[in-house]
Amino acid sequence: MKKLILCLSICIAAANIKAQSKVFKEINEDISSEMKIITQDEALVGYLVFTQLEKANEDSFNYKISLMDENLNDIGTVNFREEKLDLDAVSFEQDILCLAYLKSNINGRTFKNKKEFNAFQEKNAIFTQFLSLDGKILKTNSSPIRLESAEYELWALPRSKFTYSGSLKHKIQLKNISQKGFVCFYGDKDGCNIIDYDLTGKEIWKKSIADEQAFSLLTSKTDVYLLEKVKEKYVEGGYYLLSYNALDGKSYDKIILNDKEGNSLKVINFENDPVTGTPYLSGTIIDEKKGNNIYTGKQLARSPYSGIFTMDIKGHTKTDITKSFIYWNDGTLSPAISKRGFIEDVRSYSVLTHSFRDYNGNTFFAGSEFVKRPKFGAIVASIITLPLIVVSPLILGASGTIKCKVTNVALLKLNQKGSLSFESEIPCTDSKFTKGNVPITEYFNQRNFYDVENSNTKASYMIVDDSKNIMIYNVNQRKVVRTVSHKDGKIRTNVFPAKEGHIMVFEYNKKEKYTRLSIEALN
Amino acid sequence: MVIVILFFSFRLTAQNNLLYSYQALSKFSLAKQKDSIKKNWLCPELFKDKATQKKYKELWEERTSFIIGAIDANNFITEGDIYNYINQLIVELTKGNASLIKQPQLLLIDRSASVNAYAVGGNVIAVNLGLITFSKTREEIALVVAHELSHNILNHAENSMSEMAVWLTSEEYKNSVNAVLDSKYERLTKLKKVMQAYTFSRSKHHRYHESDADSLAIILLKNSHISFDPAVFLRLDSADNAYRQPLKNSTKNYFSSYNVPMEDWWFAKRSKGLSSKSYNFKDSSGLDDSLKTHPDCIERYRKTQSMATVKGTFTPVFTEVQEKANKMIIWNMYDNLDLTACLYRVLLEKDKGNADVWYDFMMHNIFAGLYYSDKKLNRFNAIGIKPKEYISKNYYELQNLLEQMPVDNLVQFYKSSYNQNFWLNMPAESKGLKTLMSAVLFESEESDKKKSIAAKEFIDNNPTSMYCEFADHFKK
Repeated sequence: MKKLILCLSICIAAANIKAQSKVFKEINEDISSEMKIITQDEALVGYLVFTQLEKANEDSFNYKISLMDENLNDIGTVNFREEKLDLDAVSFEQDILCLAYLKSNINGRTFKNKKEFNAFQEKNAIFTQFLSLDGKILKTNSSPIRLESAEYELWALPRSKFTYSGSLKHKIQLKNISQKGFVCFYGDKDGCNIIDYDLTGKEIWKKSIADEQAFSLLTSKTDVYLLEKVKEKYVEGGYYLLSYNALDGKSYDKIILNDKEGNSLKVINFENDPVTGTPYLSGTIIDEKKGNNIYTGKQLARSPYSGIFTMDIKGHTKTDITKSFIYWNDGTLSPAISKRGFIEDVRSYSVLTHSFRDYNGNTFFAGSEFVKRPKFGAIVASIITLPLIVVSPLILGASGTIKCKVTNVALLKLNQKGSLSFESEIPCTDSKFTKGNVPITEYFNQRNFYDVENSNTKASYMIVDDSKNIMIYNVNQRKVVRTVSHKDGKIRTNVFPAKEGHIMVFEYNKKEKYTRLSIEALN
Repeated sequence: MVIVILFFSFRLTAQNNLLYSYQALSKFSLAKQKDSIKKNWLCPELFKDKATQKKYKELWEERTSFIIGAIDANNFITEGDIYNYINQLIVELTKGNASLIKQPQLLLIDRSASVNAYAVGGNVIAVNLGLITFSKTREEIALVVAHELSHNILNHAENSMSEMAVWLTSEEYKNSVNAVLDSKYERLTKLKKVMQAYTFSRSKHHRYHESDADSLAIILLKNSHISFDPAVFLRLDSADNAYRQPLKNSTKNYFSSYNVPMEDWWFAKRSKGLSSKSYNFKDSSGLDDSLKTHPDCIERYRKTQSMATVKGTFTPVFTEVQEKANKMIIWNMYDNLDLTACLYRVLLEKDKGNADVWYDFMMHNIFAGLYYSDKKLNRFNAIGIKPKEYISKNYYELQNLLEQMPVDNLVQFYKSSYNQNFWLNMPAESKGLKTLMSAVLFESEESDKKKSIAAKEFIDNNPTSMYCEFADHFKK
């Protein structure tokens, strides 16, 4: 039975809406909405729907912000007028919401001349907005930017057909700083910037940084960290850690991330320790010789990595960093893990792509396992056809001697004492056996990994989003506590992390065309 | 002595007999009335202008579809005691106002917990179960019934439809809409203004309509010699406070008899989030439709104060009727998987010292339903988390409990309640539901067929049981 009873007047209102479908349809087409999560200390604390309601005049739009708590219950709305905005990130601290937008009116416009274009370019900005929990806009800031888009394109194309499309070189990243305020990072055509704001929205300090390949922002109670990736010899290497004092922006020494031998590191995770609240990095050590062999099954079976590492950032000097390097290529972990990274317990190799730390100080590394097998058929056929000289190499060339497939997920644990061990295997769906020299991306869709933590129960969960099923692994209990099928009849299910200790479940019923949403506790 | 024996025998009967039969649900019980509505609700020819008449017909048919859909969805119930109790008021009001109420009125008992009643027009009124449990006296219900009858007498529904048809087909309206479509800027704002200009005077609880209905209702009461106390309007101001009412004991204590350790942290909010913050937005979310959403209750009290019956007689609503209505609400909430509200109502009954084992039975069902929802990854929706502003501390703790109680403990609780002594006093159909529930919970996810067989078996063995509604969910 339907839960809500609609009274006659609502019925009439519905009829009214139906009757006015043309006008509503047209007005509706002007409206666009997007949902963002609100975070505080990396935890989800609520949701926000940002809606562009209508064009208010030549340059401005009317907008609505709808705020929801972590249970998706409405809290309230804020209406305002501003130039064209794209909301990128929302953070929360001390009952203040900070929203960071890209403000730009030039996308989709044509210009009569360069002067006019430049005038619009000058209006491009990073726009930050500070809201209180009674719906007041306390302060806004604009930091001018130049968007990443070759200007010659604008003049090279016929004006009437040209649709200008500019973007930031590095998207906005926004974090709260506990008790202090917020910090925002972005990169435009002229470089990258970090801007720090206090809780009133006042800009406290700003730092300019040279542009590099990628950046990741993190804050602790006292510092602002920026993980920088530069282009180097190894595709997955080239990491540096920049840090600043959260209060005054004082720069500390830049830290290059490599091991004692100077090997590059591949950072898999950069976050705060759930117990100490200080940052740590974890990842794999790139093998000096095979470090760029990361594409095919055959290459990965020869291990482009020589081990794993963790780095705990407890201060700003080299001595304040606790490093832990575990190598398997020196044979010290054999027979549990061979020199090539073969894990004996699961009789396969694993490409570690995910890492997290639990409340007991253990750091976990997870990755898909893959197995390689000789292609006996091709080998035998090439031997048989060996006298034909031409045929044999053709067979080997076409099919290769090795086949690979991706199987389950292996989980390794590095305990506080620095001892690495195989922890568990999470059953997943196998890919098909494919030639060893084919890039794995061609026959295997990357699995998604998510972490869910509960600071109260000190429980940690890892979600493995595989092609057929979603596995929820309880780290404390060392077992899969729930397996959710992606497809059940006409229903497609997806799972994502939600508020602390919870997951968000999306169910789409293709037949009946509805979406059900649920926020479920992991306990 | 005889009265005492009769009273106790009634109580025992109430405990062991089911509230109503499956066939009392509107899909079955109002089938004839539905056909009659379909057949007899013919749109009158009011307008010469074809477009206006067409629009009027569309609105008319929307109303018919609404009521037919609600009947098919089992939104109404025809249970003898409650129906007769309310219908008797309509009989009295009709008798006392023969010149005003010329047509027989169709009464629908709506299963909603919301404190409300509504007039549909076409001589149909609906009274929510929530109004029956909320009202203290028969006269309070009579006032609301008289108010809805007044809407019908004054043709408010029909007039609204015809006014709307005229407006929507008027040149003025067309020009306003075209002006919106032609404008380049602020189209939504302009459209809102156009709609507001219309809806301001025709909103769902239009203040003049309500005021007219109030005035006429008091006349209807007076003509039928039913007392009127304007203070009822003040009481209606608290109609939405159902879940703000605190429980008498600590929330945890209500579960002590199940011998299952209930940990304190299950009752406390555990996760970080905006819900725990103090926010104060002007435009906050609204509540369900209820009588409180009518124009200002205090204003209505002031307006009608002079019309109060001097030395009026006020009869408390029959306890049995209210208990029955409350149980029906609880069951309906359960069947709709509104588990926290359902559990809260059960505990409020415990607070009253109600020893009826049916509430223990429902407690068992609630935790079974929660476990089922957990298995289906639907616990969140089954709990129906309400913001702290609308609920009491106890309610807040209960929704925390239902959210955070670990699955293993949930099963433990279910098993404990499964073996409680109250089952000895439960009728066969309740025990049948227990068996069905067990099949639903513990048959593997793949064995839907077995669940379906168990549901069919229950329906075959208990064809008139109200719990067939629950079994129906698993029948297919």
